[in-house]
Amino acid sequence: MNLTPEQMAIGRRNFLKAIAGVPAVAALGAAAAVKGPARGGPVRVGFIGVGGQGRALLGRLDPASADVRSMADINPASLQHADDLLAKAHRPAAKHYVEWRDMLEHEDLEAVIVAVPLWAHADVVCGALEAGKHVLCEKMMAWDAAGYTRMAQTAIKSGRVLEIGYQRNYNPIYRSAYEGVIRQGLLGDVHFARLVWHRNGNWRRPGGPPSADYDPSKWGYPTWDHLWNWRLYWKYSQGLFAELGSHQVNAANWFLGSMPQRVQASGGIYRFNDGREVPDHVYALFEYPGGITATFSSIESNAFDERYEGFYGTKGTLIIRNENDALLFSEGSDASATGIEVGPTGAGAALEASETKPASAGGAARATSEQTAKPKQPSPSTLEINAFCSAIRAGTPLACGPVSAMHSAAWCLASNEAMKRSMPIKIDNGSLAS
Amino acid sequence: MSGGGVSRRNFLTLEFARDRPHGEHWIRVHRLAMACRFEVVLTESDAFAIAAAREALDEAERIESVLTVFRDDSDVADVNRRAAGEPIAVRADLFALLARCRNLHDATGGAFDITSTPLSRSWGFLRRAGRIPDDAELAAARACSGMDHVRLDPAARTVGFDRDGVELNFGAIGKGHALDCMADLLRNAAVPRALLSAGRSSVVALGTDGGGWPVDLRPTLARSRVGRVWLQDAALGVSGAGEQYFEVDGVRYGHVIDPRTGRPASGVLSASVLTRFGADADALSTAFLIGGPERARDYCARHEGTQAVLVLDDVSERVEVYGRCPGVRLELS
Repeated sequence: MNLTPEQMAIGRRNFLKAIAGVPAVAALGAAAAVKGPARGGPVRVGFIGVGGQGRALLGRLDPASADVRSMADINPASLQHADDLLAKAHRPAAKHYVEWRDMLEHEDLEAVIVAVPLWAHADVVCGALEAGKHVLCEKMMAWDAAGYTRMAQTAIKSGRVLEIGYQRNYNPIYRSAYEGVIRQGLLGDVHFARLVWHRNGNWRRPGGPPSADYDPSKWGYPTWDHLWNWRLYWKYSQGLFAELGSHQVNAANWFLGSMPQRVQASGGIYRFNDGREVPDHVYALFEYPGGITATFSSIESNAFDERYEGFYGTKGTLIIRNENDALLFSEGSDASATGIEVGPTGAGAALEASETKPASAGGAARATSEQTAKPKQPSPSTLEINAFCSAIRAGTPLACGPVSAMHSAAWCLASNEAMKRSMPIKIDNGSLAS
Repeated sequence: MSGGGVSRRNFLTLEFARDRPHGEHWIRVHRLAMACRFEVVLTESDAFAIAAAREALDEAERIESVLTVFRDDSDVADVNRRAAGEPIAVRADLFALLARCRNLHDATGGAFDITSTPLSRSWGFLRRAGRIPDDAELAAARACSGMDHVRLDPAARTVGFDRDGVELNFGAIGKGHALDCMADLLRNAAVPRALLSAGRSSVVALGTDGGGWPVDLRPTLARSRVGRVWLQDAALGVSGAGEQYFEVDGVRYGHVIDPRTGRPASGVLSASVLTRFGADADALSTAFLIGGPERARDYCARHEGTQAVLVLDDVSERVEVYGRCPGVRLELS
């Protein structure tokens, strides 16, 4: 996607025009307005897995919604980092566990937030559900079909909330785009969607074990590298289709209102042949009913396109860039442009006034050490955890319950199969939903 | 544990909510116009007003299309092209703005002047390539600068120039004027509150977000934040030369030209003006940057409802405040 600043400006304006209708605006407000549970107080939660993603959720969690009592992680360094994060935010300390089963046994928790490597999702989530806990589990749902099927069945049997964390579902930009553009039919007939997540760098994380005698083998990882870089090995990971693609496939299924029927894919280890097993470049082509095709690509050799979801219709184009910027273009039109941002009020000023900033600097906040008016996007992760807690306290609906999550997981797994076998793969969506 | 009592945490949440009765998010609706960012900030509870905000931004574009000198097809470009030859009839809103500019010119002793384009050109600021003009160039520029060369006929609603080379430029008032028009439009659309701004230098507050819309004063050249104002149905204009200037032999030459001398204004780092309307705040901030503390003090004493905050260009960056403005609470840092 090679847009000039002018084109991007045009897109923003058109996006705004499109969402100016009341339903879209209401959706935007509602998304931003999700509050903590009104009755019952904050939900008592424990974290299972406080690595990078777990700590991202921990840091963005609204203490009014959830009270973090404890956290379990097999890496003591991660627990230490999580402690630091809580202390820095002046939040109460949470008790440490190594084994998540110990934590469930000894803590009076209502819910757990799970952010462990993909291969462990099914065991951890099912164990927590069976112990009577509500579960918010990071995407993707599970490493294989047997895992996600077991998770869904256990959730139903236990009567507990199971939500899979796709933060786009809670992002005000996506919600307003869906309500105001997609549902209003402003794109006309959409026959093509393009899902792009491009990076220029190595997925492999540098870093050593927490101590010289640290032994990860009792948790199934033969080496420290296998634990630390679990995303690079098939035993624990489903690669780029799962870690990145599932976000975008989930959003595309939502926006297109259907699921793929067939997928073709290719990919390989083209740049970082460093002992990893999963490809560093992947490409997939999803065929939806009604002559709709979506392509997904994720590469680790060029970041020009960054990440976006584009929906290309007979009347217009909707592009959501980097999860925070929506652009709408009409076919054959060159009207000018408006953008929309949503940010928390906080204690800062609504505006930082100075002499006139020209357009080249007008949008960007000035880089100073005493910034006060930097506009921030609301964190979809905060809204996600709030909604999870609301579902527990007040029975409000989930954005991505087990069935929806199974669909995106199934299609990402199918992409890997298509890539490995060099042949199109079909899935019976009906059997997934039942 | 999970009873209905109010915990300390709930209590704090309630306190917070009382402080922000209209929601915990601001919605920023923005577009590029007049070569800067125009923005309408709405409270979370007023998301319905996004449609009106979009129309308000359309209004800014419409006003730009009338006032701009960067396109050949604007009303003002037409006046600049032809008004030396014959009086040109102009639309009512443009004539009203011209009359207002004449009044502001007179009330500021000529420090605010919309005809200083030839001066800016001679100093190279129109091409963003500053340089010191020679005496002949400056004399030629001064000969065709000044509101005295502009003739307004209210009965015929015409504008004429008494010589060739005179040019109108609304750069020092257009943004504030546009915000005033946008605020009218929002008010007519029953939008209860919004904070409008252009290029961060022109601000108009419609209603209030709780205790007033908080806006920080942070001029580019000042070492630190000057203070914070809370605005309710009031406007702010900020002028300074921190974004456009050049230096020769250690002397800084800013882009704001004193129409009375033909030379870049000096002595004031930043001038902020708080008053009822954006057009006045814009124009007066420029006039006080040029006219300095004496002009600002004098004007604020004679015009109720105008407050000026000046940061002086001395070692201590002394801050001077003159006058008062209803609906404005000022807290200096």
